Amino acid sequence: MSCSPFDLRDYVLKELSDPERKQVEVHIKGCQGCREEWERLRLTEAALFSLREEEIPQRIAFVSDKIFEPSPWRRAWAAFWGSTARLGFASAAMLSVALVVFAVVRPAGKSPETVASSGNVQAVSVSTDQIQQQIQAAVERAVAASEARQQQKFDQAVADIRREDLKERRELAGLADAALDMSNQRRLVVERSSYEFPRAEKGGLQ
Amino acid sequence: MIFRAVEDTDLIRQAARGAVEAFNLLVSRWEKRVYNYLLRITGNREDALDLTQDVFLKAYQNLRKLDDPGRFAPWLYRIAHNEAYSMFRKRRPESDISELEPEGTDTGITVGGSSVFPLELSLAVAGALQQLSPEQREAVVLKIYQGFKFEEMAEILSCPVSTVKSRLYAAFELLKIELAPIKARGAS
Repeated sequence: MSCSPFDLRDYVLKELSDPERKQVEVHIKGCQGCREEWERLRLTEAALFSLREEEIPQRIAFVSDKIFEPSPWRRAWAAFWGSTARLGFASAAMLSVALVVFAVVRPAGKSPETVASSGNVQAVSVSTDQIQQQIQAAVERAVAASEARQQQKFDQAVADIRREDLKERRELAGLADAALDMSNQRRLVVERSSYEFPRAEKGGLQ
Repeated sequence: MIFRAVEDTDLIRQAARGAVEAFNLLVSRWEKRVYNYLLRITGNREDALDLTQDVFLKAYQNLRKLDDPGRFAPWLYRIAHNEAYSMFRKRRPESDISELEPEGTDTGITVGGSSVFPLELSLAVAGALQQLSPEQREAVVLKIYQGFKFEEMAEILSCPVSTVKSRLYAAFELLKIELAPIKARGAS
């Protein structure tokens, strides 16, 4: 039975930390029993190492086989995202394209300072006048269009009123005619009654 | 130009993306060690070679499942261990795993009846290893010949570290009795 502070088999099998190993080594120097045990373990390990590794009789190699490989798209995708250099290049290329497109498409690309520095001050004033004229013309066109729309609405409203007025007039005329007819009929009835009544009265008296 | 040794982890990442050449380079680095591990737990060269091929085929198919490339070695040996014991079960399905023995003779690993280890000490070592149980023998192979730590062995064998230690200590007690005197004579 070993009295070593740590298991001598762990020491031989190299499972101890450096401080633990040093403690064991110090102990072995002063303990004959543990030293003899350590010697037997060391000889056993050395004997085991006499069994050498063999060379593999046949090398193993795989050939490219579509069955075991991912699809070309997946390989390309994985290769792209797996490459920092490619990602960086692609990002830089996209940024460059974006800058060029922005510079070309941007309508107010030139700042006033840039234009002034070109020395074409007359061109700037002419451009400003033209812009003012265009704005004025656009405002006038908009006002004229608005007035035209208002006039059209007004005319339409007048026409509607006239049409309604005419319609009412016709209805009133119709009513007047009907009233006149009724009045004439009543007069005839009254006239007939006044004619026949005296004759009956006269005959009744007889 | 900068020269840099290509690490296994680089090869594993490339192989996981389908680079067959990277995997072949990885195989060339590990095939001898895996073959010898399988040779010592099966005791038969043909079986060891067939199993080695199966191990690397399975490794290639499952490489994307390996989360940490730094754990490649225990992961690969776990596959090898499973393949070997799967073969043992197929050949003797009714036997308990602890009763399974390699098919080599008690004088060492043989192919076609010829002795592989001519030296006396090598014969003695081979004979002593044959006296161990399969679990003890595998523990010795993983520790002495493959250089794994206890934790890695526990991962490969799928058992607690305490079990690994127990098997290894028991094996060393037996081997010490058999081999230490022979080695001492040879050394003197």
